[in-house]
Amino acid sequence: MAMNYNAKDEVDGGPPCAPGATAKNRRPDNTAFKQQRLPAWQPILTAGTVLPTFFIIGLIFIPIGIGIFVTSNNIREIEGNVFMYYGLSNFYQNHRRYVKSRDDSQLNGDSGALLNPSKECEPYRRNEDKPIAPCGAIANSMFNDTLELFLVGNESYPTPIPLKKKGIAWWTDKNVKFRNPPGDQSLEERFKGTTNPVNWVKPVYMLDSEPDNNGFINEDFIVWMRTAALPTFRKLYRLIERKSDLHPTLPAGRYYLNITYNYPVHSFDGRKRMILSTISWMGGKNPFLGIAYIAIGSISFLLGVVLLVINHKYRNSSNTADITI
Amino acid sequence: MDCSRVRTLVRRYCAGEENWVDSRTIYVGHKEPPPGAEAYILQRHPDNRIVSSKYTFWNFIPKNLFEQFRRIANFYFLIIFLVQLIIDTPTSPVTSGLPLFFVITVTAIKQGYEDWLRHKADNAMNQCPVHFIQHGKLVRKQSRKLRTHYAVQDTKGFHTEEDIDGLHATIECEQPQPDLYKFVGRINVYNDRNDPVVRPLGSENLLLRGATLKNTEKIFGVAIYTGMETKMALNYQSKSQKRSAVEKSMNVFLIVYLCILISKALINTVLKYVWQSEPFRDEPWYNQKTESERQRNLFLRAFTDFLAFMVLFNYIIPVSMYVTVEMQKFLGSYFITWDEEMFDEDTGEGPLVNTSDLNEELGQVEYIFTDKTGTLTENNMEFKECCIEGHVYVPHAICNGQVLPGASGIDMIDSSPGTSAREREELFFRALCLCHTIQVKDDDDVDGPRKSPDSGKSCTYISSSPDEVALVEGIQRLGFTYLRLKDNYMEILNRENDVERFELLEILSFDSVRRRMSVIVKSATGEIYLFCKGADSSIFPRVIEGKVDQIRARVERNAVEGLRTLCVAYKRLNPEEYEGICTLLQAAKVALQDREKKLAEAYEQIEKDLVLLGATAVEDRLQEKAADTIEALQKAGIKVWVLTGDKMETAAATCYACKLFRRNTQLLELTTKKIEEQSLHDVLFELSKTVLRHSGSLTRDNFSGLSADMQDYGLIIDGAALSLIMKPREDGSCGNYRELFLEICRNCSAVLCCRMAPLQKAQIVKLIKLSKEHPITLAIGDGANDVSMILEAHVGIGVIGKEGRQAARNSDYAVPKFKHLKKMLLVHGHFYYIRISELVQYFFYKNVCFIFPQFLYQFFCGFSQQTLYDTAYLTLYNISFTSLPILLYSLMEQHVSIDTLRRDPSLYRDIAKNALLRWRVFIYWTFLGVFDALVFFFGAYFMFENTTVTSNGQIFGNWTFGTLVFTVMVFTVTLKLALDTHYWTWINHFVIWGSLLFYIVFSLLWGGIIWPFLNYQRMYYVFIQMLSSGPAWLVIILLITVSLLPDVLKKVLCRQLWPSATERVQSTCTCGHDHLPELTLLACPQSPSPWATFQARTQNR
Repeated sequence: MAMNYNAKDEVDGGPPCAPGATAKNRRPDNTAFKQQRLPAWQPILTAGTVLPTFFIIGLIFIPIGIGIFVTSNNIREIEGNVFMYYGLSNFYQNHRRYVKSRDDSQLNGDSGALLNPSKECEPYRRNEDKPIAPCGAIANSMFNDTLELFLVGNESYPTPIPLKKKGIAWWTDKNVKFRNPPGDQSLEERFKGTTNPVNWVKPVYMLDSEPDNNGFINEDFIVWMRTAALPTFRKLYRLIERKSDLHPTLPAGRYYLNITYNYPVHSFDGRKRMILSTISWMGGKNPFLGIAYIAIGSISFLLGVVLLVINHKYRNSSNTADITI
Repeated sequence: MDCSRVRTLVRRYCAGEENWVDSRTIYVGHKEPPPGAEAYILQRHPDNRIVSSKYTFWNFIPKNLFEQFRRIANFYFLIIFLVQLIIDTPTSPVTSGLPLFFVITVTAIKQGYEDWLRHKADNAMNQCPVHFIQHGKLVRKQSRKLRTHYAVQDTKGFHTEEDIDGLHATIECEQPQPDLYKFVGRINVYNDRNDPVVRPLGSENLLLRGATLKNTEKIFGVAIYTGMETKMALNYQSKSQKRSAVEKSMNVFLIVYLCILISKALINTVLKYVWQSEPFRDEPWYNQKTESERQRNLFLRAFTDFLAFMVLFNYIIPVSMYVTVEMQKFLGSYFITWDEEMFDEDTGEGPLVNTSDLNEELGQVEYIFTDKTGTLTENNMEFKECCIEGHVYVPHAICNGQVLPGASGIDMIDSSPGTSAREREELFFRALCLCHTIQVKDDDDVDGPRKSPDSGKSCTYISSSPDEVALVEGIQRLGFTYLRLKDNYMEILNRENDVERFELLEILSFDSVRRRMSVIVKSATGEIYLFCKGADSSIFPRVIEGKVDQIRARVERNAVEGLRTLCVAYKRLNPEEYEGICTLLQAAKVALQDREKKLAEAYEQIEKDLVLLGATAVEDRLQEKAADTIEALQKAGIKVWVLTGDKMETAAATCYACKLFRRNTQLLELTTKKIEEQSLHDVLFELSKTVLRHSGSLTRDNFSGLSADMQDYGLIIDGAALSLIMKPREDGSCGNYRELFLEICRNCSAVLCCRMAPLQKAQIVKLIKLSKEHPITLAIGDGANDVSMILEAHVGIGVIGKEGRQAARNSDYAVPKFKHLKKMLLVHGHFYYIRISELVQYFFYKNVCFIFPQFLYQFFCGFSQQTLYDTAYLTLYNISFTSLPILLYSLMEQHVSIDTLRRDPSLYRDIAKNALLRWRVFIYWTFLGVFDALVFFFGAYFMFENTTVTSNGQIFGNWTFGTLVFTVMVFTVTLKLALDTHYWTWINHFVIWGSLLFYIVFSLLWGGIIWPFLNYQRMYYVFIQMLSSGPAWLVIILLITVSLLPDVLKKVLCRQLWPSATERVQSTCTCGHDHLPELTLLACPQSPSPWATFQARTQNR
């Protein structure tokens, strides 16, 4: 049969030694940790302790929910800054092949990556032996419809609503993550040796007339490059700033939306939308959060009541049981 | 088990008649045997280096890696890692490579450290100096340079180095084999004449490696086996591989998860191709494939996709679970060794943990098989009385080890003996003084704890059998003192203070089969006597003369009182008879093959026609708190079986004393005596009828076993009856008796097996172990005869006792006293089980939470294997964000206090039968994980769907979505553990809040910098942007609440409506200790439904 012995035994040898000095040493320390007697808080989840929690959750969640719900519903009124979004559906910006098809070093202005984009960009890496800047499927499929909004007043021709291009991308993206290639020359010079993505009409250095919104730091481009989480998504297109406190940003009236249609969505059964929305402290109109809070608050309150009843009944029955036995 | 079978095969092969080659010949001092005697064959033997370490400095890395990847889990992760390297997968190889590397490194460090300790021990061994003789001189060398056939320092008459050098001999012995207690060899001594003297060598002539000399300063010897060929070293490697029930269910769960994983991957692959069947989905204009991708074969593509899904979901099989479980077991076992209450002051011994793999099995024990002598009893013998020719002599209280005053005199209970009886009496005393294997140690160098006080010279008796010591000491009280063995003469001091000398001719040593021993001595007057002492059953059949009936009556009376009885007989031999015996013995002893069998036959012939002298009775006191412990264990729902070699009456008395049998226990006997009266068949059927009739009406309630009105049964069975039951029947007519026997045993609260041979003990353990319920068995014993059952049982526990350390060495755990078993099982076992089961379930739960959202996400990203979480999160989730809280939980958790567990053994029933790892519980946890995952995913989904969640109108992308899910998940999973924690020490606080804080700090850092070494910056500011949005906070709080709510509700409701015994105790502990005594009565096994509880209550009423 199998046996095992310790090398230590062999060294020690012999029978168990007599009590004395050695025994003292082998005696385990009497510390709280070793004896598993560390002072500890020993909470137990019983109906009694949990009940208040349920009520508290209910009491907190329901008002929050109502608050959110009301705020969310009030968003309809076009006051304050108005945000103009375009929405696409059935567009898989979160497809794996698509998500990885970009080169963050190139977009960060790395001159090496500019001329030699990452392999992840295939098949949108090179065109006619020239590196594509910005490379990759995301950049290549940048949304290029133009939306213009006009107020149709009493006058014969409509007045355009001023749409602000800047401030639609994350500040950190615009200022840190995305950078044009370095250099003092003109932007065109700095992008020399590269070619525009296949589907683009204009090269990247002609995206906008303003130099701080051109090239890789064009905000439309940056917004597009932040891939959406779900196949139906919206992206911020323009801001309509409030001019004065007296007038609403978009006064009541007839509006006219002029769309320069470039972007094909029919082939993949997609839809396009344009959304105008104001934003509260909790973002755009979204009934979900408010309803969820109210629902969970109510359920929790209800459970609290149920538990209270059970606790009450149980305590009675358990008391009688204790007495009878 | 296979190993042992192979070894027995090998052994059989080695011992085969024709394999003469398999013995080795040692030439003492390198001297060739005289020509013509035998052919001189130079044999090569290894040097004396002991290597117990597994690795060397050079081969550590390759060998350790090889060992580690032999484990199926590690191999699985290696495959995943390689797949990631080869094909284009959604996650980078780092995500599985790093955790794997972490796991491998941790294990390697642990194993390396253990190996370093072994190296150290080896070095200490190998460097200790040895003295050997080379050309007549004593030379000092390091141990490892020793080779066989250097004459190392028994041959009587040799006293100096020169003498030894003159010895010209060869030793023939068997090839090295691991049996420690067997050695067969012979020595040929060549004198000047060419006629070698042949002497037998047996295990009594062999000194094992590591033995210490006791009574002499030095001996001369010949090194026969060296280095790794020594018996001790041969015993070194093989260790039994026992697996705990928890580990088994863990593996089953793993297989379930593997199936889930594969089906998930399959479903997604199939759906992918169904979904992609329309080309605009497979390859819309904005997302073209590369040329090479397009050209790839469809099946190859599908297979790659399948692998990619496997890789994506592989985290569902928790990588770090194995390493966490291993660390938990390794570190957790220290709590046993550190336990102060299990430390024995008298011996200075604490508990030992030889394997940490079985910690949780201690909480699952259903059957305990315990040895009696030395385990239940002290093995501290006290001579009670002797009965000579029917006269009873009782010495005054003597306790070995302690001097009690006024202890010299004989109390005659019966009438004083006549002159011839006096002669017999003295012969009896002489027999007891001579028939033993005790060694005497002078008091000046005290080594053993046992002292024999004497008015004149004090000396210590040392023997492997405490009975012998007790007897010799008892006889000392009665006037005969054994002095010493000097030059083969045994000296005794008789009543008249005269020294009598007897020449010791032969010792027919004790063995557990014969159950007796004999000595042949020659008195000063030249008479040759054979004295034999042994168990009554082995002496009475060999007696032809003496007052057998009186003595038998006395023996039986004593046995009923729980005393250990021995009978003494003698025979006078005339020189011719002695000569015959001598040759008989010599022939048997010299035999290299079948020596044991031949010896047994020889003994059988010699020890017959004896004259019965008398009997002795020795008391073996019960160990402290043995009764208390057994009672507690029985209350805990554990069935206790006592397996002993003692006779039935003795054993039964002990069982009553230790409350194994109670006054109201109805004893069922299944003994040889009964079987002689009826056939085995009838006895078994009758017994089962008795047992089943009663239990039939009480099946529901019978496992509580406590109610006083319930009849409980105790079964007594003896070895012979057992072997009849175990014997497969030749006719095979109506199955075998095993099932019937097991049925009876199941319905008995206690079973006593007496007159057991060591192997039968293991047989019984195996029988129970393999019965249809597969109960978890535990064997506890202290002697070498318990080793087989210790190895056989699921958990083997050795008692560090007086009969050497074999049991402790072969056990999984060793305790100093039987009473420590209580704390070991009821407290430590319970804790370990609770801890590890939570660990296992929690690990699966958190990985379901982790992976299920990924699975759901595939439905929204075109089944493209897009990951939801960033690589860093994928990698660190298991190894740093959620690893420490559960590890510390599994080390510290105490759901009820230690004192409560000890006070209320019935709590042990709450976890019996692997209660916390049953399918129901496992499915609950898995569904909780799925529910939580649904909450995380769809909560975030509805948040992101078609709306803005920031207050500046800007939009979040897919990485924010993933981070939101991940954040909610890390918090939920950690808080879930916090809700399960019942014992919050500062360490738990530190680790739980600390890892949440770590997650936040890490995320801030990870998204706060453009990391130069990364080729993507997808996480840049994602976490911070998320936290800067109000709705994200609201969602996080909401989702965490929703995910935790059902679990809290379930806990509260279960506790309120169907509380388990543990939960009741928990709640009473919080509202004060006053109710506890009532509750222990109330505490009933976990009831499956409220109805059962209700019924139980009404019944009790």
